[in-house]
Amino acid sequence: MEEPLIKHQTSISGNLVLLCRFLRKKGFPLSATEEADALEAITHLPIDKEKYFKQALKAILSKNQYQYNKFDGYYEEFWTQLSKASDSKVKEKQEQKDKKTKAQQQDARFDSLKNWLNLSASEEEKEVSTFSDLEVLIKKNFADLSEDEMKLMMRLLKRLAKKVAHQKSRLRKTSKKHKKLDLKRTIRLNMRKGGDIQQLVYSDLKDKKLKLVLLCDVSKSMDLYSRFFVHLIYAFQNAYDKIETFVFSTALHRVSTILDNQEFEKAFDTISDRVPHWSGGTTIGSCLQDFVADFGNGMLDKKTIVLILSDGWDTGEPEIIKSAMRSIYKKSRKVIWLNPLAGSPDFAPEAIGMKTALPYIDVLAPAHNLESLKWALQQIQKRRNMVNQQLKL
Amino acid sequence: MKSEKLQNIQKMLQGQGYISDGSIAMSIFLAMQLEKPLLIEGPAGVGKTEVAKVMAKALETDLIRLQCYEGLDSTHALYEWNYQHQLLYLKMQEAEGKDSKQLEETIFSDRFLLKRPILQAITKASKPVLLIDEIDRADEEFESFLLEVLSDWQVTIPEIGTIKATHKPQIILTGNRTRELSEALRRRCLYLWIDYPDFEKELAIVKTKVPEVDAKLGQQICAFMKELRKLKLEKTPGISETIDWARALASMHLTHLDKQIVEDTLGVVLKDWQDIRHTQDALSELFEKTGVVSRIG
Repeated sequence: MEEPLIKHQTSISGNLVLLCRFLRKKGFPLSATEEADALEAITHLPIDKEKYFKQALKAILSKNQYQYNKFDGYYEEFWTQLSKASDSKVKEKQEQKDKKTKAQQQDARFDSLKNWLNLSASEEEKEVSTFSDLEVLIKKNFADLSEDEMKLMMRLLKRLAKKVAHQKSRLRKTSKKHKKLDLKRTIRLNMRKGGDIQQLVYSDLKDKKLKLVLLCDVSKSMDLYSRFFVHLIYAFQNAYDKIETFVFSTALHRVSTILDNQEFEKAFDTISDRVPHWSGGTTIGSCLQDFVADFGNGMLDKKTIVLILSDGWDTGEPEIIKSAMRSIYKKSRKVIWLNPLAGSPDFAPEAIGMKTALPYIDVLAPAHNLESLKWALQQIQKRRNMVNQQLKL
Repeated sequence: MKSEKLQNIQKMLQGQGYISDGSIAMSIFLAMQLEKPLLIEGPAGVGKTEVAKVMAKALETDLIRLQCYEGLDSTHALYEWNYQHQLLYLKMQEAEGKDSKQLEETIFSDRFLLKRPILQAITKASKPVLLIDEIDRADEEFESFLLEVLSDWQVTIPEIGTIKATHKPQIILTGNRTRELSEALRRRCLYLWIDYPDFEKELAIVKTKVPEVDAKLGQQICAFMKELRKLKLEKTPGISETIDWARALASMHLTHLDKQIVEDTLGVVLKDWQDIRHTQDALSELFEKTGVVSRIG
């Protein structure tokens, strides 16, 4: 049985409660506390001025900038609706369609993003029905993600990137936070003052400062995964301080500055404008060579980890890829190659590009679902000679 | 009676030289009536912090300020034992051969307690204004810690016990949106968004803050700033920049803007090299819109 949303109420408190209900439908997170506050507030207000009434409710019921700006419109809408709804007629459905909530707007942006990556909608919809819990999500192939799952995944990814980026070293440093007493330094400092412990020194774990270079293949063969990888790059770009990001298909493009400090949608638009050969063929070899020639000396050193996201399908000469990979391997701390195809059970690194590059890779990981990605990212922190060559499936 | 009170707030703010509009006055009024914290967000330099300062002045009470930064923790916000003093005191007393049990009581007393802003605020004899500035810079841990204080109005110190607030302080939180604040914190506060002022409001502010400025010059400055904010700048100038600029130009006894002067003094308004260059390129267009006529050429 459906309760009519709007009934005509004569008392001001009744209307106020209705307004709260109305706003809740619009996505305002209002609890009983806000209602109580609003009711109390109006007792303090001058009775004759409606303007004050609105201002007061605005201050109490909106909780962020978005709501603050939208409030006036909703407020007007509510009163017009209320005057129409004099006979308890249900107007719920009409009103729902009018305005999009912020979440819906995000959906719209997401849609355009999806279209841009040339994905068929029908396949997506099939997957919606299976959208349930995290457990499934962790093992699910990135190529099969539905839209809802994608959103959830974005959140997980952000957290994962943050976690990997902020790993602690075993070294300690002096800290203002009172985490752990640094006895050695405390004693040394106080010896100068005659041996009495007067000042305490604390220490905290030092952040591991690793540099990261991301090279992401966005060619046609990676299409199913590239939309996901762009999210991955974005999450990393904003979690790491020292990161350089490149995308390549037939040519190499540096996108670090575009991704820096920009909203995802904005950054995405700019990249799509500037990278002409998106979803084209691949020449991994020449792209990697370009990278070594132009940036190799400046960006690669023994503190830098190179993360390559590609399936290894190459249309160029294998010799080129070999020499490029060799110099990348020599100059960097570690080379991690994430290959989404490696997730299938009968995978063997047979693509020519992949095969030639294999000797110069420290970790070859599948990265086709969250579980494997997590494993691969954990390898970032380990030393070169301590990592396994491949994830055993 | 009550309606007078609301009007009084606006007058009170004006009396302190703070030009507000209806929504600002209403938010302050409600924050005082409901004894709730007021969360103010908005771009830099629009007078968020000023609200607290003006409020404290108008209510003739103390302003206690807690500037947030990354790594701020409870020892800096709440209390700390003055360890060095305690130690010296102990030594002195030991030399005199005092009883150790009594000593312990004295050591953990008010005398050796360093009160940090939040503890200060709740133990004040009169109701103070507590300004928690740039809350979004503090860590999330600190934010959750703050929730506890904001809801219970008491602080527990293990050695002494629980200290209850003598008065609920009037709390103003400000933020620049460098980080999204948690829903939990938002729910406990009233919300106010202060945006860049419109032309009339900015003019009124300039007139109040820089009374020596020429009437026409004031108008031109505000019109210019309004157009300037429409450009895509790295750092959009706020009201404080407008006031600085007006003050600078007034001190040169100018009566109107001209191109040369604007070019020379752009550094007062814009603090970014690229912004300055960008603006210089767009200067003629800006002048056209604001109706400033170039005297050169």
